[in-house]
Amino acid sequence: MADPFVIETVDLRKRYDGVEALQGLNLQVPAGSIFGFLGRNGAGKTTTMKILLGMTRPTSGRARVFGLTPGSSGEGVDIRRRAAFVSEDKSLYDSMDVAAMVRFTASLFPRWRADLERQYLRAFELPPNASIKTLSRGMRTKLALLLALCRGADLLILDEPTSGLDPAVTEQVLQALVAHVADAPATVFFSSHQIADVDQIADHVAIIDRGRTAVSGALDDLRRDYRRIQLVFDDTAPEAVFTAPGVTHVRRSGRVLTLLSTAGAGQVVEQARALAPASIDVCPVSLKEIFLETVNAEE
Amino acid sequence: MFWYKSWLDTRWRFLAAFVVLTCSAVLTVLAYPKVVMLLPLVPLEASIQGGEIGRRIREIAELERTYRGYIWVQAFRQNLTQMGVLFAVLLGTGGLLPSGSKDTALFTMSLPASRPELLGARVATGLGQLAVLAFAPALVFPLLSPAVGETFTLGSALVHGACLFVTWTVFFSLALLLSTVVSGVWVPALIALCAALVLAAVDQLAGGLSRFSIFAIMSGETYFRTGALPWAGLLASGAAAAGMLSAGSWNFARQDF
Repeated sequence: MADPFVIETVDLRKRYDGVEALQGLNLQVPAGSIFGFLGRNGAGKTTTMKILLGMTRPTSGRARVFGLTPGSSGEGVDIRRRAAFVSEDKSLYDSMDVAAMVRFTASLFPRWRADLERQYLRAFELPPNASIKTLSRGMRTKLALLLALCRGADLLILDEPTSGLDPAVTEQVLQALVAHVADAPATVFFSSHQIADVDQIADHVAIIDRGRTAVSGALDDLRRDYRRIQLVFDDTAPEAVFTAPGVTHVRRSGRVLTLLSTAGAGQVVEQARALAPASIDVCPVSLKEIFLETVNAEE
Repeated sequence: MFWYKSWLDTRWRFLAAFVVLTCSAVLTVLAYPKVVMLLPLVPLEASIQGGEIGRRIREIAELERTYRGYIWVQAFRQNLTQMGVLFAVLLGTGGLLPSGSKDTALFTMSLPASRPELLGARVATGLGQLAVLAFAPALVFPLLSPAVGETFTLGSALVHGACLFVTWTVFFSLALLLSTVVSGVWVPALIALCAALVLAAVDQLAGGLSRFSIFAIMSGETYFRTGALPWAGLLASGAAAAGMLSAGSWNFARQDF
């Protein structure tokens, strides 16, 4: 039976010069998903990606990609044969022009899609004779994405693919990603600071903070389970202890008591009624709010 | 294709070295008629001041009375040796990171190749370039000497080319090894060049033992003076280069990017 997870990490740790970049990261990326990997600067996103590609070795714990160990020389090569990586800085070879860069990359991947190459060169308006070093950030990103998409990869690992791009190019990049995955099934594992991007295309997310997974799951499940419950009282809100499962935050401000639940609102509302509030409002929570609540809670 | 990338990364350094070394060899040959005219003007041995400098001037004047001696002193012992070390260091510097930036390496490291493969392509390209840099100027002498009415045997040119190549690989390997330890392009190059300067200083101070130095092997001094190939020196240089390349490979295999 095929492994349901393309990426799996168990208690993954990485220490750089005394700094714990990862502190026991547990991650499961389902095959075929578009997985948004969220976290603040320095949360450990890039380190995780580097470990998954065998560029960096973990201090302890386990990482598996396609069931293979990235740190093993032979298995690492197999992983990189089936995976594509776009780094945050969109690093490419400045000594080449666009056409040479494409030829160079194509020569390393037997499943290279020449049809997609022509399609994306046209769609992205990439001039074949332009030197890489003269490309704008947007053009570099498009070229890096072309090189990732055309290699017939089963897994795309993208580190901040839309950072520094204007909204038009961002939209073009996101649309290209979604269209590609619809056309050629692949798993996309991408990090981003742009929560709107993740909200737009991801079906699974993980939020990491200080090297640990804080939240992980299908985006629809998170949207269903996360609820903000607002209780308004006639007088000052009481200091109440909520024992309902999933209550992660309770904030009291004047007559208002605000709760965040990660397990729906039903039991919380039931418990809240005992406090006799004047009104109870249950609101859905956006991914941005989940992110902010999560990383703020960690503090 | 990785060799192609290595070639692109180093081609300007290589081409600059090729032009400088080859032009140096050509100019050395073409200057010989003038040297022949000037040699009688060099003072008699007795009139030259004593001491180490005087001894050296006398030695050079003596050697340059023959065309073979002139080529050896000017080209193999001086110009090609000194400039070659500089270019060997520059070609070895940078390792896999031609721009000195780790970011550039991320794309390379994400490709389906093992680290020994990546380094192997880099080393093979560098050694190929060094071989061209060593043999091309050396071959200028048999090819161009008839233009000044002299001859220089092809065998001698090949032996001197081999001596240059094998000893330059030591400095190339040192620079490559340092590039896996120290980040950036210029710091490893400076350290390697300082090491070369120290070796040269030791060579100057070693007196009678200097003929066993790497610079003596580089210039093919034993071959020039006795006709014997410096096998021991060449093997020792090759072993040193191989050792440093192995250490560089070991270090590179354990590096985090």
